[in-house]
Amino acid sequence: MKLSRRNLIKGGALAGAGALLGSEGTRLLAAIQATGPDGHDSYDLAQPENILYSQCLQCNTQCTVKAKIQNGLLVKIDGNPYSPMNMQPQVSYDLSPQSVAKVDGHLCPKGQGGVQTIYDPYRIRMVLKRSGPRGSRRWKSIPFEQAIQEITEGGQLFADIGENRHVPGFKEVFVLNDAGLMKSLGDDAAAIRSGKMTVDEFKAKHKDHLDVLIDPEHPDLGPKNNQFVFQGGRIGPDREVFAKRFTFNGIGSVNWYAHTTICEQAHHVAFLWSTAQWDGNWNKGTNHMKPDYTQAEFVIFWGTGYTEANFGPTPMGPQVSQAIVDGKLKVAVVDPRLSKTAAKGWWIPVRPGGDLALAFGMLRWIIENNRYDEAFLRNANKGAAKAGGEKSWSNSTWLVNAETGKLLRAKDIGIGNAEPLIAADQFVALVAGQPVAVTTDDEKSAVVGDLVVDTSLGGFKVKTGFQVLKESVFAHDMAYYADKSGVDQESIENLAREFTAHGKKAAIDFYRGPIKVTYGYYAAQAIIALNLLIGNIDHTGGFAPGGGGWDAMGGKKGQPFPIGKMHPGALKPFGVKLTRESSGPYESSTFFKRDGYPAKRPWFPFTDDVYQEVIPAAYAGYPYPIKILWLHYGTPALSSPAGHLQIKMLQDTSRLPLFICTDIVLGETSMFADYVFPDIAYLERWGNPMGTSPVTLTKTTKIRQPVVAPIPEIVSVEGEEMPISMDAVMIAVAQKLKAPGYGKDGLGAGYDFKRPEQFYLKMVANVAWGEKEGEAVATASAQDVALFVKARRHLPKGVFDLAKWQIAVGNEWGRVVTVLNHGGRFEAADKAHAGAFLGHTWGKQMNLYVEPVGSSKHSVTGKPLSGVPVFQEMTSFDGKPVTFGAEYDLALFTYKEIWGGQSRTVGNYAAQMALMPENFIYINAKDAKRLGLDDYDLVRLVSPTFNGTFELTPGETVSVEGKVKVIQGMRPGAVAVSWSYGHWAYGAKDMTVNGQVVKGEASRAKGLVPNPAMGVDGYLKDVCLTDPIAGDAAYGGTLIKLVKIKSGAAERGAVPKSA
Amino acid sequence: MNKDRPDNTPESEERRAVLGKMASVTFAGLMLSGVLARAQDAAPQKTLIPAEPFRASSDAHQDVLIRMQGELERAMQRPINERRWGMVIDIRKCIGCSSCTVGCVMENKLPPGVVYRPVIDKEKGTYPNVERTFLPRPCMQCEDPACTPVCPVGATWKREDGIVVIDYDACIGCRYCLTACPYQARTFDFGEHWTDNAAQGADGALALTAARDYQNPPNFEYGKHWKRGEGIIPKSPVGNARKCTFCTHRLDQGMLPMCVSTCVGRATFFGDLNDPKSLVAELAEAPNASILKPEAGTHPNVYYLK
Repeated sequence: MKLSRRNLIKGGALAGAGALLGSEGTRLLAAIQATGPDGHDSYDLAQPENILYSQCLQCNTQCTVKAKIQNGLLVKIDGNPYSPMNMQPQVSYDLSPQSVAKVDGHLCPKGQGGVQTIYDPYRIRMVLKRSGPRGSRRWKSIPFEQAIQEITEGGQLFADIGENRHVPGFKEVFVLNDAGLMKSLGDDAAAIRSGKMTVDEFKAKHKDHLDVLIDPEHPDLGPKNNQFVFQGGRIGPDREVFAKRFTFNGIGSVNWYAHTTICEQAHHVAFLWSTAQWDGNWNKGTNHMKPDYTQAEFVIFWGTGYTEANFGPTPMGPQVSQAIVDGKLKVAVVDPRLSKTAAKGWWIPVRPGGDLALAFGMLRWIIENNRYDEAFLRNANKGAAKAGGEKSWSNSTWLVNAETGKLLRAKDIGIGNAEPLIAADQFVALVAGQPVAVTTDDEKSAVVGDLVVDTSLGGFKVKTGFQVLKESVFAHDMAYYADKSGVDQESIENLAREFTAHGKKAAIDFYRGPIKVTYGYYAAQAIIALNLLIGNIDHTGGFAPGGGGWDAMGGKKGQPFPIGKMHPGALKPFGVKLTRESSGPYESSTFFKRDGYPAKRPWFPFTDDVYQEVIPAAYAGYPYPIKILWLHYGTPALSSPAGHLQIKMLQDTSRLPLFICTDIVLGETSMFADYVFPDIAYLERWGNPMGTSPVTLTKTTKIRQPVVAPIPEIVSVEGEEMPISMDAVMIAVAQKLKAPGYGKDGLGAGYDFKRPEQFYLKMVANVAWGEKEGEAVATASAQDVALFVKARRHLPKGVFDLAKWQIAVGNEWGRVVTVLNHGGRFEAADKAHAGAFLGHTWGKQMNLYVEPVGSSKHSVTGKPLSGVPVFQEMTSFDGKPVTFGAEYDLALFTYKEIWGGQSRTVGNYAAQMALMPENFIYINAKDAKRLGLDDYDLVRLVSPTFNGTFELTPGETVSVEGKVKVIQGMRPGAVAVSWSYGHWAYGAKDMTVNGQVVKGEASRAKGLVPNPAMGVDGYLKDVCLTDPIAGDAAYGGTLIKLVKIKSGAAERGAVPKSA
Repeated sequence: MNKDRPDNTPESEERRAVLGKMASVTFAGLMLSGVLARAQDAAPQKTLIPAEPFRASSDAHQDVLIRMQGELERAMQRPINERRWGMVIDIRKCIGCSSCTVGCVMENKLPPGVVYRPVIDKEKGTYPNVERTFLPRPCMQCEDPACTPVCPVGATWKREDGIVVIDYDACIGCRYCLTACPYQARTFDFGEHWTDNAAQGADGALALTAARDYQNPPNFEYGKHWKRGEGIIPKSPVGNARKCTFCTHRLDQGMLPMCVSTCVGRATFFGDLNDPKSLVAELAEAPNASILKPEAGTHPNVYYLK
């Protein structure tokens, strides 16, 4: 999209508006602009000065939103018409905010309910310090400055309530604060891992600095700085940059976590490795792709849909609905439950956890019947892709050493480039039986490899990746997969036939459903393989990497603010992470030398954000004990499977010496904290500009900015006024510690970092400038700047101070205003497609065979992992199968209602609470009859590892029970419980603040959270069943029984049958 | 009915007195004549001022919301008695998300218990042959509404453009209309607030008051500011029957009703049924169009596509 000042709306001129809006729309906008006073009372929500654009956070789709202000308060949230998430196609970016004030885009009910997330009477305003034992729900409010002082300095912080212990402060973890020394120690710790240095050599070389290490016998664990752990629930991606800067480069700890393994990490991890690129190392690629719903003929929603959860109903709803009703798109839905999406298509009620078997059945049938796109799969490099009319290619024909699981290199068999270093980066394929060196991104020489190879070459037993997959898939017959998936053979074949009957205009969408099991990574890889087999990547109607967004980090040449580099004295943290994730292979660690197999707790070299493991690892003190846990906007005790096991861990002050939280409301986990700092909610604050999911095919950058006055108190941080928040705590602690990159010149000479917007606005400026010269958005007109200021008249000075905002970005100010006035930057809708291909393509290598995984071992069992998916069932970390007695006869799985988020929508009175005051335990009528259950019967969830209740605080019990709903739209043998209910905090219970009782609201405790019933790992016994590759928490794979507590006869009589 | 009212404030005592008197035919007659006259004055109709009429769009590549907003603008140029607002809901496209329900509540600041547009989720059949359908059910804005004739005070009537309205200043809260409506499209405002059961108190460590204030600004129904707790009859629209207005306050601004603009499945169509070129008129004539409960004989202006 070419933007120019000429096209920017000035004084209602609508030139340039027509392109997307159409002539009718242009006139419409002109007319409604002209509307004058007419004697009616004003409709304030239609006035541009009462409208601000920002970003939702009721779920991680993080849609663009239009916030409407009345009497200085947020009263209404709608969709942003400039954004392809809320209007399809969106209105032209060239239209001024004045002119689109009366055009509303759509938004899902959760987004609409956001007003009541912002305005929840249980929002915290001041810092709370516990005035009783952890979990006692007795608090006192203390001044912000005192709280910062205490958590920084440490000391006898709870002497007033009789706790005679020293509490460590940040000073005790901010031990290694010299960037040069940290680098030197880090380099040598890496040398120990790679075998180039011994521990003794390290100790001798660094004898003067061994005191900064957690354990000098294990320098690879890193410095004491790592004993600070930041655990973020909903942190990424919109505050990731800010919080990582503090944790990694300010404090120097490796321990920063988001929550992805309780979301859908196996899906991400399988994509990241299936799209990894080789440049001497494997660099992870993109974390997911999505079908092009607008042009596809057949889409399988596998354990997901377009009407609930996923990424998400707001951007997906209009396009998928329209395509279905137009008869262009047919959808199949693999789900044990007749979801709202399944109601719109071909329902395949798979057995919970049977997804991998179903995928293997499809793979087998497709391979057996030659229904795959052989030409695509044979393209072995970029040259072949080009010659074959493709954008991307795959490693399907590359040879794998069957013994080691490694891909064969040209150097191994003495072919390829004469320079051995180059030949070491060349792979090998057979072309008509002859070995050929493959340089993956070589555009000039096309290598079209042989697909089915099982032979010996240069003394190596070799197979193509395709052959390895084929053998894995052919390990069982169709009848076996039908039995394991619970989908009959004919249906599996029909699904595979339909999927392969649309050329490249078919794709499989998946998210969380099929992968929340201990073999989730392989299930994800199998579904990606199905997409690869039909060669749909990059094609119109096929599989899309999405439109991406503009680089906010300023990494492109010419961008005004290279944020990553604007960090004088930045620390580069090193060491093994608390969860042993992304910390290299176990086998190269000093712990392996000490312990060998099995590892005491598993290592996760292929993944990140193993959220459910953070607190159990800290409690176990493996690989090391921690000193400070900062839980931000997360509630692992509620949201992790078997998360209730963490409750007793949280109460142990010796293993968790300082526990601080930032959150908007006291939650199920933060109720155990020592200090709780109020946080600003999602419409009160900034976020780093971010792209959106591949559901949106055009380039999109969303911007979160403060649009309402904050609920938390405004305080002074080193002389700067700002609301108490995660941002304020980080800025305050960092300045107190004199950590690098904060305070005066914190962002480099002349650029202070004393206020949040000094950081965030620079990223907005990068987006506004674009990624290359001449790509900048237009500078805002005087009228637009005036509107910008007027629309913020309700924001306090501590949030909006025009002069301070301007200084933060200097000359970029006018363009920044343009982007903020639009709530982001959005490429024109017509860039979604370019003929037969998508407008934004992957255009790179795809991996049918994942070498890093395929050449590694399981850190507990010591057994090899696989480069292709293999058929598995539920196991513990020690490889032992998960078993159940005969009385456990219902397979538990979860889902999300569209109006419910994970843990913060229970205060949405007009949305979640009004639409569905409590959740239910859904079973099929056959099971109900068998079990003697009926609607509204109260039942308890019991599993082999959970007896139905747990202790919250001494003497206080929570029962995991709810009411039954008997339906037909559920596979017999399956039981579903939705998320978002069963709170034991978040306003659900009484607490005492400053000696006054604050009453809880009983309605918030209604329903149940099924997680405690989910299986516990048989090896560790303190954390849920977990995928050893992706670290993904298993929400599925547990069989339960329902124990009747009370008859629902009375309620059955009271509620009309149709309700 | 008084026992349903939650509070016992003096205002509410006064309202009870009014309700008691209402039973008297004489009193009702007095109310009727006066209120009717005033109510008709109190529905000022305005026309927006586009310089030239819109032609039907030839640009297919635009969101249907933009097309409908254009058509709405075109309709607003004509006198009120030449417009006939109608709605078409394509249940094939309705995804049962209830965004319309919630969007409406937030737009109109509806309190607990007042719902203008519920969505009904229905299951039919036996596993594995099961259907699930979603049915949004706004006011049908009937041609021959059953709700208006039963009003003893003439506080509800059908406007010339087809919208069935309530004059909150006149409504005495008898709820005859709630019973009369075959679609259960009317609900009663008992004067509750969403936060009634949350902890009460001054702002301190928690935002017990500050986070309640969003419920105080007036709503915009019928193009007026309705502040809960104020009005000619005490507390209107508290104590009134309430119903979908097709968002008349938004129509007046050239904006689509909230349930239309926030429909995630783009299943809801709105416009002037008198305009044969409008999308809504075209869809209402489709062979798969139908109405709910035709046997009620009220001739709805809301159609469903199946």
